[in-house]
Amino acid sequence: MEKKLAVYICTGCGIGDALDIDQLSNLATSDLSVPICRTHANLCSQEGAQLIRDDMANEGVNSLVIAACSPRVMYDVFNFDGVIMERVNLREQVVWCQPPKEEDTQMMAEDYMRMGVTKATKMDLPEPYKPEEELSRDILVVGGGLTGLTASLEAVKAGFSVVLVEKQAELGGFQKKVAKKVTFPYKDIQDNDIDQLIQSVQQNDKIKVYTGAKVEKLVGGPCVFNLTVAQNGSTFEHRIGAVVQAAGWEPYDPAKLDAKLGYGASPNVITNVQFEEMSLAGSITRPSDQQAVKNVAFLQCAGQRDPNYLPYCSATCCFTALKQAIQIKQQNPGSNVFVFFKEMRTPGQGEDFYRKAQEEGVIFVRSQDPEVLVRGSKIEVQAFDELLGDTVLLGDLDLVVLATGMVPRTAFGEDCRAKEKKEGEPEVEVPQDAILASDILNLQYRQGPELPGLQFGFPDSHFICFPYESRRTGIYPAGPVRRPMGVANSIDDATGAVMKAIQCIELTSRGLAVHPRAGDASYPEFFMQRCTQCKRCTEECPFGAINEDEKGNPLPQPTRCRRCGVCMGACPERIISFKNYSVAMIGDTIKSINVPEEYDEKPRILVLACENDAYPALDMVGLRRMTYNAWVRVLPVRCLGSMNLVWVADTLSKGIDGVLLLGCQHGENYQCHFIKGSELANIRLSKVKETLDRLVLESDRVRFETVAITDYDKLPALLDEYAEKLNEIGPNPYKGY
Amino acid sequence: MSNRVDPTLITELEHFGLKDAHKCYNCGNCTAICPLSTPENPFPRKMVRLIQLGQRDKLLEAPEPWLCYYCGDCSTRCPRGADPGETMMVMRRYLTSLYDWTGFARKFYTSERFEIMAIAIVAVLVGLGLLLFNTGKPNWDHAAINSLWPAEHIEIADLIMGGILSFLLLSNVFRCFRIIMGKMAFKIPLRYYASEAKELLIHTLTQKRFSQCTDRMQWFVHLMIMTGYSSVFLLVVVFIRWFQRDHIEYAIWHPVRLVGYYATFAILYGTTYAIIGRLKKSKAPYKNSHPTDWMFLILLQLTTLTGIFIHFTRLLDWPATTYFLYVIHMMVAVPMLVLEVPFAKWAHLAYRPVVVFLLKVKERYAQETAAPATAEAVVEGAIS
Repeated sequence: MEKKLAVYICTGCGIGDALDIDQLSNLATSDLSVPICRTHANLCSQEGAQLIRDDMANEGVNSLVIAACSPRVMYDVFNFDGVIMERVNLREQVVWCQPPKEEDTQMMAEDYMRMGVTKATKMDLPEPYKPEEELSRDILVVGGGLTGLTASLEAVKAGFSVVLVEKQAELGGFQKKVAKKVTFPYKDIQDNDIDQLIQSVQQNDKIKVYTGAKVEKLVGGPCVFNLTVAQNGSTFEHRIGAVVQAAGWEPYDPAKLDAKLGYGASPNVITNVQFEEMSLAGSITRPSDQQAVKNVAFLQCAGQRDPNYLPYCSATCCFTALKQAIQIKQQNPGSNVFVFFKEMRTPGQGEDFYRKAQEEGVIFVRSQDPEVLVRGSKIEVQAFDELLGDTVLLGDLDLVVLATGMVPRTAFGEDCRAKEKKEGEPEVEVPQDAILASDILNLQYRQGPELPGLQFGFPDSHFICFPYESRRTGIYPAGPVRRPMGVANSIDDATGAVMKAIQCIELTSRGLAVHPRAGDASYPEFFMQRCTQCKRCTEECPFGAINEDEKGNPLPQPTRCRRCGVCMGACPERIISFKNYSVAMIGDTIKSINVPEEYDEKPRILVLACENDAYPALDMVGLRRMTYNAWVRVLPVRCLGSMNLVWVADTLSKGIDGVLLLGCQHGENYQCHFIKGSELANIRLSKVKETLDRLVLESDRVRFETVAITDYDKLPALLDEYAEKLNEIGPNPYKGY
Repeated sequence: MSNRVDPTLITELEHFGLKDAHKCYNCGNCTAICPLSTPENPFPRKMVRLIQLGQRDKLLEAPEPWLCYYCGDCSTRCPRGADPGETMMVMRRYLTSLYDWTGFARKFYTSERFEIMAIAIVAVLVGLGLLLFNTGKPNWDHAAINSLWPAEHIEIADLIMGGILSFLLLSNVFRCFRIIMGKMAFKIPLRYYASEAKELLIHTLTQKRFSQCTDRMQWFVHLMIMTGYSSVFLLVVVFIRWFQRDHIEYAIWHPVRLVGYYATFAILYGTTYAIIGRLKKSKAPYKNSHPTDWMFLILLQLTTLTGIFIHFTRLLDWPATTYFLYVIHMMVAVPMLVLEVPFAKWAHLAYRPVVVFLLKVKERYAQETAAPATAEAVVEGAIS
């Protein structure tokens, strides 16, 4: 396609007052040879947008540079089909954060104009990825418990077909073993209606149910998954669009508990799960002799929120204990029921259920460290009551119920990494994802067969920012396998995960990216002739999107790709590029920055900013009308992980005095949209010192900082301090070359 | 040493009127709002906790129930509807029953039937007594109570009754003293008691602490009932000779008349206010009414009303009605005194000031015995 470029400068929102617009448009038309450059006082108005449309229709303009506000705003107005578009952020990142009518401000705006025009010149129009094979729209649900059943029905309601695979011989999961349930409106215990749910799933002809079955193999990617189900020795094949992983949980093994909780010392010390079994069988009795129970103690957090056992809160045990306590009270109002707890966690409307238990006469004792004393057939609980400030002894107990926690099914199985190391392969520098071979999905992915975890064996989904997401595109964990949760949350979760699966199918079938770059039509292309089989792309892809053949050649699976560009940053041969984002394009953009001579005393700092957090934080600085260093030139990147080291070399050899990488916090509490992009950038940067030495340059010229979007107020000081440091080091000796 | 949890305590207290204590989630709003709660003697939360955890011994030794006057702020503010004020009231009933060695108090509080029966029996006995023991020479021409039941005779009966009542009440107060003081019971020198005696008197007469509660109306009503009751008690028991007269002989400003009118007005005002309050459940302290609460108010008001009627029939000079009403008056008043004073609600008249007094004594003793020790330590510290 032959490009016809046009630049549109908006003079509204103070841009026209702070900058010499004529000079700026001169730069575009003469120095940068852009055929059309127009200014408008209010480009985001209907009239302004019409101006652009008219040019597209009449002048054949097909590449736009819009020099106005941040690309994070007005994207709905500046939304034109079939054209290349680049936004130059004159408002937030120039006139709102720099003094008006100053030479340095004008120079900053001009540099951004150069960078924008260069980008627009160098990029191509992305074409959506369309595989040749037929795209499936069916949803696979793994796990036939409450979450899986709900997910299946929700998918069908939205018009999708479902394949449901359940390991057990019958549907229902854990809820099948439960007599009463606790959920909205949390006023009283409720009868378990799981059987109705099972029935409606079984009767639905759009749901293909496999019980006593497992996923033997899952090959491919979103919309092109090939599923193999194994059932009774035979296998069944299905084509799948997206997956909801609802494999559920297992109770924590009470045999591992601290002896002072008394488990095993008496048959009358049981777990909350055993209580459910007893409740389902009939009435609650003393296990040792089936006599009526009069005095009962519940011990919460049994081996939970304790680094030696389960370090986390299982979220449901408080409700379960309340439910079971109410069951006992309703069975025998004369019974004495005590609940020993660390914290009573019944958030939201759950408070009403706590109140209900109190009204039934259940007594609560806040104690961090209760102890069960078993002497023959006598059971006592000794606990320090924090409110009384004294130890109390509760005797003559007929039953002690320990609240053991939930362990996700994904937490069982061998660690894949352990195997790899044995083979004597070279140590990988990039931290590997924790993937346990838990035999749930059996993905045929190069990085491992299951969803990667982060903590405690739960699949990592960054559950605060992006619930239901996992590190595997198109596979959405839901229910207690994602994090401990009860009935109400599991239903929410199932619904949410199905919605994500549907979004995935819809976007993928149009060749577009899913979250977080939802709707992005670009995808990485590999220039395979120059590949050296170094495997960095296959190792480093945060989403395991790239498989490998026997020779080590990457086999990209574009429907699994999230378009972060981490592979592009990783590739030492620079053979990976997107139509509108490539190593060369960014390199040229950097080189388009005008670097004044040394005696001008106008240093330049390139900021490579993550466009998800750091870039909006810089916008926020402008929004708040804070001022930062005028030497700064900001270049947004899809993810800091897409940074290729050659850009650092490009920058410094151009004579720019320093490179600052602004990325997201990484590690356990990471904030990166692409999980480990900023971490990878940091690792790569540690290696850049070598390069700098070769160039006889100070390694202090390159810096890595993590910022959250809320850290915007710290940015001006950070940039000033960095500029000061560069001033100390002195000008880049490569200036003028 | 562990404190054994007695789960039966909470059910036992239900017989004393406990209803909502199990609803308490120990937030402490009650203690925070209470103007009388102190860091040394915090309540009501701590007390509610003792009940929840079945801490019988600790509850028995607790002075806190007596520090509360039941203004009801805590119950109004309780986010759980656990009614801590009523719980404190229940504890006072419970403690009264524990201080009482005869076991009558317990019966009284836990059985409405027993209470009514006991009052009825005493009333009948009093009625029979008045019919049997009299001069037998009633003045049918003019209303003259002294002609049938001379004040001197009543005085003797009064003294006997006063002696018995004092013995019962004082022996119970002594038990209260032993329990509250615990190990300190006989350790603190008498001078400490003597020095705080003034406080005892002031508290008894003014209910000073009650006036610190937010709802000062409750203090006022309580003070009216208390002073009215006490003054008329003195008139009928100690000054019966001057009180039980057949003719108006004193001038309007005579102390007996003034006190009599004041007492009549004060009791009528106080009891009417409380009865209406309890019927309407107008404020927190009136929301829950134990049978003993009603009994006390009804007996007191009936005594006063019959007293007023006698006054009028005597002025109208209706002998038969006067004598009849006199018997009724006595049948109401005597059971109230005999049963309520040592065994029921009236006993708090003694317990509350005594406990406040004992706490003051303890506090004073602790201060004075601790002070020299610290001084010594300071000196020692300075030397070394």
